[in-house]
Amino acid sequence: MSTLAVHAEGVWKIFNEGANNEVTALSDVSIDVGKGEFVSLIGPSGCGKSTLLRVIADLIPPTRGSVSVAGVTPHEAREKHQYGMAFQQAALLDWRTVRRNVELPLELAGWDKDKRKARALELLEMVQLQDFADHRPWELSGGMQQRVAIARSLATDPEILLMDEPFGALDEMTRERMQNELLRISKATGTSVVFVTHSIPEAVYLSNRVVVMSPRPGRITHVVAVDLGERNEDTRESDAFYDSVTAVREALRGRATPVGEGGARLAETS
Amino acid sequence: MASRTSTVGSRAKRGLVSLGWALGGVLVAILLWEGVKVLGSIITLPFETSDQAMPHVWSIVSGAMQPEVRGSDTPVWQTVLIAAIYTLVIAFGGFLIGVAVGLLLAIVMQRFAFFERGLLPFVIASQTVPLIALAPLIVGIGNRISIGPFEWGQTQSIMFIAAYLAFFPLSVGALRGLQAATPTQVELMRSYAATPRQALWKLRFPASIPYLVPALKVSAAAAVVGTVVAQISTGGRGGIGRLIIEYARETTAQPAKVYVAVIGAVIVGLLAAGLVALLDLYLTRNLPKETLT
Repeated sequence: MSTLAVHAEGVWKIFNEGANNEVTALSDVSIDVGKGEFVSLIGPSGCGKSTLLRVIADLIPPTRGSVSVAGVTPHEAREKHQYGMAFQQAALLDWRTVRRNVELPLELAGWDKDKRKARALELLEMVQLQDFADHRPWELSGGMQQRVAIARSLATDPEILLMDEPFGALDEMTRERMQNELLRISKATGTSVVFVTHSIPEAVYLSNRVVVMSPRPGRITHVVAVDLGERNEDTRESDAFYDSVTAVREALRGRATPVGEGGARLAETS
Repeated sequence: MASRTSTVGSRAKRGLVSLGWALGGVLVAILLWEGVKVLGSIITLPFETSDQAMPHVWSIVSGAMQPEVRGSDTPVWQTVLIAAIYTLVIAFGGFLIGVAVGLLLAIVMQRFAFFERGLLPFVIASQTVPLIALAPLIVGIGNRISIGPFEWGQTQSIMFIAAYLAFFPLSVGALRGLQAATPTQVELMRSYAATPRQALWKLRFPASIPYLVPALKVSAAAAVVGTVVAQISTGGRGGIGRLIIEYARETTAQPAKVYVAVIGAVIVGLLAAGLVALLDLYLTRNLPKETLT
C-alpha cells in the first residue's frame, strides 16, 4: 500500500443516517491514486466529489469503508501534514502578509521562524510571486491570490495535494495559465494530486485519469484514462485531447460502459 | 511596507478631518443652545428656556471659573476635572473587567454550541434588569464581602455595575466576530491539524476584529454611562455622578454649575471614545479599509 498516495475501499458517506432527511453522499466508492499521479474527480453538483475529497482529507469521517492516505489513516496524514489543500476560495488571511500566509501551515507544524521564512520565499518564487511577499492578500488579483493558496498548500512539502475547484472562480485565460503552472509544480515536486472540477477540458488537460461521478446516490460511474503525454501549447488543440474530452462527456451523459465492481482501481486503467 | 505606511498616513489624515468635524459639531451645539434660548424669548416653547433653566454658554464658562465654595481657592472646573478623571479611571476598570468577561463568554459560547444555547438568553436577560434596581442590591451584597485584606467598597460596587453594562455588547459582538471566519478558512485550519487554541489565536480572533471594534466602542460608552449612573444612584463619593446631584441642588443659586458637571461627564465619554479609537487604529492596522466600520 505504501506505493499509493490514496487508497479508498468501499467508502460510504451517509449524512443524517436514519433520519428522514438522510442523504447518501457516497455509495460504495473505491479509488486508488498512485504516487505522482494526477486524478480528477468530475460530475454534476451533488455527486459527492467534494465529499470524497473531504473524507480523504479527514475533514469528515466516512460512514463505512476504509481510507488510507500516504500509507496511513487520513487522521494520521492530517496530523503529520502529509497532504496540502486548496479550495475555490483562496481563503487567505487578510491580516497577514502574503509571505506569512504561506508560512501559516509551517507555523502550525512547529517550524522555527527563519526556516519557515526561507521556505515561504522559496515557494513564492515557485509561483512567481516573490515580489509580492510583503503585500497584503487583498492587494492581489484573484489569480495571484490562488497562486498564494497553492504555494501555501505546498508549504509542508506534502505527498498529496487535495484541490477542490481551485480555479473555479478564475477567468478562462488565467485558468489555463494556472493549469500549466500546477502541472509544472506537481511534476517538479512529484506530488500526487486529487483535483475536483466541473470543467471537462480542465480535467482532461491536467489528469492521468478522470474519475466520473454521478449523483443520488453519489458514486463512481466511469474512469477515463487520459494519455496525452507531455502537455504543451498544442495539447489543447490536439485530436487526442478532443477524443478524451468526448470520452469524458459521454461518460458524464452515461453513454459509455460503466466501471464494474472494483471501482476506480489503478490496475484496470494502466 | 510602503503601502502600510501610506495606509497609516491616510488614516492620520482622516483622523484630522474627523477632529475638524467634531469641533464643528461643538460649535453647532453651542449655536443651537443659544438659538433655542433666543427662540424661547420670542415665542412660547413647551419647555423652560430662562437663564435659570438654560444658562447662557458664557454663564456656564464663567460658572466653571467660580470658586467651588465661597472663599475657596479651587474653581469649579478643577473639582469637575478631578471628579471626571476619577470617574474615567473607574469606568476604565469596569470596561477592562467587562471586556475580559465578555470575551471569555464569547469564546466559551463559540466553542461549545451548548453554551451558546444555554448562556445567551441569560446574557440578554441580564440587560433587562434596570440598573437603578440593581445598584443598591450590588452595594448591599458587596458590603458584606471581605476577603483577607481585600474589602469590597463602594468603588468596587460602581466598577462592578460598569462592568455589568460593558460586558454585554462586547460578548454579543465578539461572539459574532468569532463566528465570522469563513467555512473554508475553518476547514483549512482543520486540514493543518490546528488545535482549537491555535484556531482561536491564528484565525478566529483576528477574523473577529471588524466585529470586535464596534463592540468595544459600545462597551466603552456603556462603561462610562454605568459608572456615572452608579455614582448617582449609590451616591459614590469623588465621581462626576455625585457632583451632578450635588450641583443640581444648587441650581437656584448657581444655575450654571450643574452644566459644568454635565460637560465633565461628556468629556469622560469623549475621552473613553478616544481611547477606543486609538485601540481601533492599532487593531485594524493590517486590514483593508473598506471592511472597517
